[in-house]
Amino acid sequence: MRVTQNLSQLNFVSALNTLEANVAQTQNQISTNLSFTTPSQNPVAAGAVNNYDQALAQSKQYDTNANSAQTSLSTEDSTLSQVQTSLQSLRDIALEANSGALSDSDRAGLAAQATQIQAGLVSLANTQDGNGQYIFGGFATQTQPFSQSAAGSVTYNGDQGQRQAQIAPGQYVAVADNGDAVFNQIKTGNGTFTATAGAGNTGAGVLGATTVSNPAAYDGKPFSIQFAAVPATGTVANTYNIVNAAGVTVSSGAYTGATNGQAIAWDGLQVTLSGQPAIGDSFSVAPSTNQSVFTTVQNLITALQGSGTTSASNAQLSNSIAGAVNNIDQALNQSSNVRAGVGARLNSITAQLSVSSSQQIQLQTSISSLQSLDYASAITKLDEQTTTLQASMQAYTITEGLSLFKYLPSS
Amino acid sequence: MSDVFGISVGALQAFQSAIDVTSNNIANANTPGYAKEAVDLTAAAPQSNGVLSVGNGVVVSGISRSFNQATANQLNSSQSSLGNLNALQNYSSQIDNLVGTTAGGLSTALQSFYSAWSDVANAPTSTATRQALLGKAQSVANSFQSTSTQLDALNSDINSRITSDVQQINTLGSSISTLNKQIVISTAQNGGQAPNELIDQRDQLVSNLSSLTGISTTTESNGSLNVFLGNGQPLVLQGATTTLTTIPNQFDASQLEISTSTSNGNPISSSITSGDLGGLLAARSQVVDPAKNQLGQIATAFAQSVNQQQNAGLDLNGNLGANLFSVSTPSATASSKNTSSVSATASVANVGALTTKDYVLTYKGGAYSLTNAADGTAVPFTGLGTAGSPITADGLSIVLSGTPASGDQFLIKPTADVAGTLAVQLTNPTQLAAAGAVQATPAGGNTGTATITSGTVVNATNPSLLNTATITFASPTSYSINGGASIPYSAGATIPPVGGTPQYGWQVQISGTPAAGDTFTVQKNSGGTGDNRNALLGANQQSLPILLNGTVSVSGAVSSLITGIGSQAQQINTAQTAQTAVNTQAVANQQSVSGVNLDEEAANLLQWQQAYQASAKALQIGSSLFQSLLTAVQSA
Repeated sequence: MRVTQNLSQLNFVSALNTLEANVAQTQNQISTNLSFTTPSQNPVAAGAVNNYDQALAQSKQYDTNANSAQTSLSTEDSTLSQVQTSLQSLRDIALEANSGALSDSDRAGLAAQATQIQAGLVSLANTQDGNGQYIFGGFATQTQPFSQSAAGSVTYNGDQGQRQAQIAPGQYVAVADNGDAVFNQIKTGNGTFTATAGAGNTGAGVLGATTVSNPAAYDGKPFSIQFAAVPATGTVANTYNIVNAAGVTVSSGAYTGATNGQAIAWDGLQVTLSGQPAIGDSFSVAPSTNQSVFTTVQNLITALQGSGTTSASNAQLSNSIAGAVNNIDQALNQSSNVRAGVGARLNSITAQLSVSSSQQIQLQTSISSLQSLDYASAITKLDEQTTTLQASMQAYTITEGLSLFKYLPSS
Repeated sequence: MSDVFGISVGALQAFQSAIDVTSNNIANANTPGYAKEAVDLTAAAPQSNGVLSVGNGVVVSGISRSFNQATANQLNSSQSSLGNLNALQNYSSQIDNLVGTTAGGLSTALQSFYSAWSDVANAPTSTATRQALLGKAQSVANSFQSTSTQLDALNSDINSRITSDVQQINTLGSSISTLNKQIVISTAQNGGQAPNELIDQRDQLVSNLSSLTGISTTTESNGSLNVFLGNGQPLVLQGATTTLTTIPNQFDASQLEISTSTSNGNPISSSITSGDLGGLLAARSQVVDPAKNQLGQIATAFAQSVNQQQNAGLDLNGNLGANLFSVSTPSATASSKNTSSVSATASVANVGALTTKDYVLTYKGGAYSLTNAADGTAVPFTGLGTAGSPITADGLSIVLSGTPASGDQFLIKPTADVAGTLAVQLTNPTQLAAAGAVQATPAGGNTGTATITSGTVVNATNPSLLNTATITFASPTSYSINGGASIPYSAGATIPPVGGTPQYGWQVQISGTPAAGDTFTVQKNSGGTGDNRNALLGANQQSLPILLNGTVSVSGAVSSLITGIGSQAQQINTAQTAQTAVNTQAVANQQSVSGVNLDEEAANLLQWQQAYQASAKALQIGSSLFQSLLTAVQSA
């Protein structure tokens, strides 16, 4: 094949262009620390890196969400812990008032203390977070959730909403509990039923512990425990009758608990009574309903403000306070349950944060394995490429100097 | 005795010519298109003295050019392919760079946008996080717009290069026809001897033409050359030329098509598949427009899904959310050749079914047909094109304003313009709908253990959505809504039952055991400014597969856009590299035949110099012979 000087020149220039472009690309890779700078250099990796970048950013956003949820839940937890302290103080006040050695004025003092604590409770229920949002308002975070009337009754103005945060793909965690669930939806009595003394009782019968001995046997209906004398001419209430809502006596027996107390059981329920009720006195047993903790406290205050000068009024007072203590115990239970829930959510957030941090490391490793440059091989490549470039330049200068004209006779 | 003078002088003249040709070769060693020339030496006809026939020296019978038509044709066709790939590669690498930089930016903007929804979910009442979200929405719109603008810039660059290519082709065509005429005249004047320099020039013009568009040539007996375009359409016929023109596309005046002075205004673009011009047309149809469509598809899916989520929630003012983005509808343009004034309107009926294709809707013989604009394959559709029965295909819904004339055509571009026109419509951060639209609550006096979910919106356009609805349990196993028909209940049931009537636009789940008389209320989420349910759903859309029939998420689609464009660019780069090698070989072959090798010319120079010197010596010897004779005669 004939090779012309023109062709050698063309070939050399085009080879030079290619070689210099290669050197420039390798140099660019080294200076950016990227194994590819445009998608065409590695299309699949470019798409994958974009996916990983997205996943990484998303995971970091989930962490942000989780941290924000942690803050909210910690605020709720510490608020609930203060609520428990308040309820415990109220319980102590009630027990002290029920010790029987106090005068009316002593109890009035306790009532004043209880009123203070109640105001504190309302203010805890209206706790705001760092952004001025009410934490117990449900979705209505800008409305004060609990308002107290002049008469002391407390109304809930929030809703049933429960705000959530996404802390992982498909994983949501509630960042609050609404005030209704925390403060209002509290069962009365022992949680299943509640026993109360009749308002017109004149005897000294006092309610003690109430239990459900056999939940399956209790049909959830109200009953009344009525005291009578047998024979009817007697002057002491020595017999009790359990009367159902339809007025039918379902159980009856002798009452002998005036001194040491007596457990009366029927239909899976058990109520302990002590003291001597009067003939015609009654105690009602009703299924538990929901009662706000504020109502419970209000009832306690009202009871404390009552007079306890006679055995009958002492018994009334005692029954009211005991009922209040039962309800306060339920409220304590409720806040413990809510706190347990909060704690569980905090745990799951902590667990997720540690999972996501290892995921992020994994993603970063994947990104860098696709995208980061292998310096050793890149520098070796650059060395090769520059050597080739130098060699080809040198070869050109050698061959370019070859010309027959140099040897033509000069004359 | 006179022969030696005649022969020597003739030889001196012949070798003088040979030295002239050689020095001409040396002079044109670097002239493009120059073919190496050589003197054709022939022994002169012998003279007879009656007894012997004695040779009569040498004559120059012609000067021939070293040229091989097959090699030249091979080079021209290789240059056409290379021109084509060079143009394609130019645009594909620009888009490759564009995607590497701005689509990366688009990805980041999308990610930040979804993260901003999460931030709003973390603090729904904060105006600051909402303002940040609006800002991120603006960056997404900007990213889509700037990518689209750059693609548009490539398209207008393609248009201007098409115009300049067409001008160059016309200039080359007319120069070739002029040379044809000159060559015919010159050949006749020189007694059939072809004018090599003119032919060199013409071959060089043909070679230049071949890198602009694919051509084929034939040579007439009178020496003139005919040039045909790739489809066989004549460009130069002896001394006559056909002129190429640019015309606007019948559907889109911003796209130039190629036409000729003899094609009655019909485009011939589809037959130009080679050379720079073919490469420009291919870059438009295979690289730029598909990228724009794909980008638009992502923009449509993104903006529509965001808007739908907005519509399903309540903003801080307690109103159902307004659209966050304004999204342009698919473009439907009537052909400039339509004879009726019927217009078409297209809308997106199903984002998931949208493709990146463009469609041509043709009305002919009383019926519509829908074809893929790129390859003309039929696309199945339903409907009659009326408002009551729109033509529905691939997620599109097309309505025509009347009955078109037979032969009327419409081009439907579902997504091409969307990315470039995407804009943020909301300005007030309070208008972002972070809260769920409805909220379900149990009545305070319920005695059962049933609980209700807070409620989700399934159809934001249902007029009953925000009306208060009451679910009342007549027994633990049946309920009614707003006093309607009794519906059986089982724990965990979706209410109202999916597919049942009436629907209210929301759904709730009730679980547990309700007691007879228990009621639940579903109502507008008034005052629920701290609610973040809709914001959570907004943030979650990032990984929601909404494109391609629910298989690909918005960010996934950006990744496949990057991979797709990268692969295409890689493939074109590879093809270009291979074609460059082919072309280098073709150039080498052509140079091997026609190129000037200076060493060869130096050797020739020496050869002719020696021959010239020898002839001169012969002349001198002849002269001394003649002198000897004269001397002999004088002395006698």
